[in-house]
Amino acid sequence: MSVDLVAVFFVAAGLVAAGAFAAAWRRDLTAALAGVPLMFAGAGVAMVGIERFSAAGGPHLVGQEFAVLLAIAAVALVALGLGVSGREGSR
Amino acid sequence: MDSLHAIGFYVSSGISLAGALGVALLPRRDQRGAALGLVGLGLAGLYVSLSAGFAALLALLCYLGAAWLIASPQYRSIEGVAGAAWRQMGAVGGAGLLAVLAYSAFRGDLVHAVYYGGEFGATALSRLMFARDAMATEAVAALVLVVLAGATAAWRVRERGR
Repeated sequence: MSVDLVAVFFVAAGLVAAGAFAAAWRRDLTAALAGVPLMFAGAGVAMVGIERFSAAGGPHLVGQEFAVLLAIAAVALVALGLGVSGREGSR
Repeated sequence: MDSLHAIGFYVSSGISLAGALGVALLPRRDQRGAALGLVGLGLAGLYVSLSAGFAALLALLCYLGAAWLIASPQYRSIEGVAGAAWRQMGAVGGAGLLAVLAYSAFRGDLVHAVYYGGEFGATALSRLMFARDAMATEAVAALVLVVLAGATAAWRVRERGR
C-alpha cells in the first residue's frame, strides 16, 4: 500500500468539490459559508502533497506554510461571514 | 512512505471526506459544526501522514475554531436570494468540478509540455510559486485576505448607515 501525488490530488478534489457543492446547495447563507473551509482544506491538502512528493532533489517549497495560511484564512473568513450576518435579535 | 503512514493517509481521507459530506448535507447547524470538526480531525491526520506535523496542529486548531463558530446558535440565519434552479445548477457545477479535478488528478502532472523556460507542469509551477516566488505568493494571499476584510467592513458600515 502506498500513497502518491495522484491519491493526494483525488482527496483534494473531493474536498474542494464538496465545499463548492455545500456553498451552492445550501439555502441558508451561514450554512453555505461552511463550504469555504472545505475548499480551503482541499487546496491545503494539494499544497502539502506537492511539497511532500515534488520537492525531492529540488529547492525547498513552502506548501506547508501556505497550507497554514489557508487554514487561518478559512477560520477568519468564517468569523467575518458570521460577524456580517449578525447575532440573533441584533437588528 | 511506509504502510503505517499510507494507512493513516487513507483513514484520514475517509474521515475528512465523510465530514465534508456531512457539512454539505446535514440539516442542523450543530451537526454541521461537528462535521466540520471531523474535517479538521481528518485534515490533521492527512497532514501528519504527509510529514507536516506543525501544519496539522495549526489546521486542527483553526478548523475546530471554525466548527465552534459554525455550530454556535447565536448567529442569525440568512436566507439566500438565489432560487432553487440556480442552487441546483450550482450543485451540478460542483459535481462537474469534481469530475474536472479528478480527471486532472488522474493525469497527475496536468500537462506535459516544454517551453523555452523549461518544463511546464504542476511540479514546475509549484516550484515557481512555493520556492522562487514564495514571498510574492504569500503577499498576494495576504492582500486578498485584506481586500476581503476591507470589503466586509465597508459593506457593514454602509448597511449601518441605511
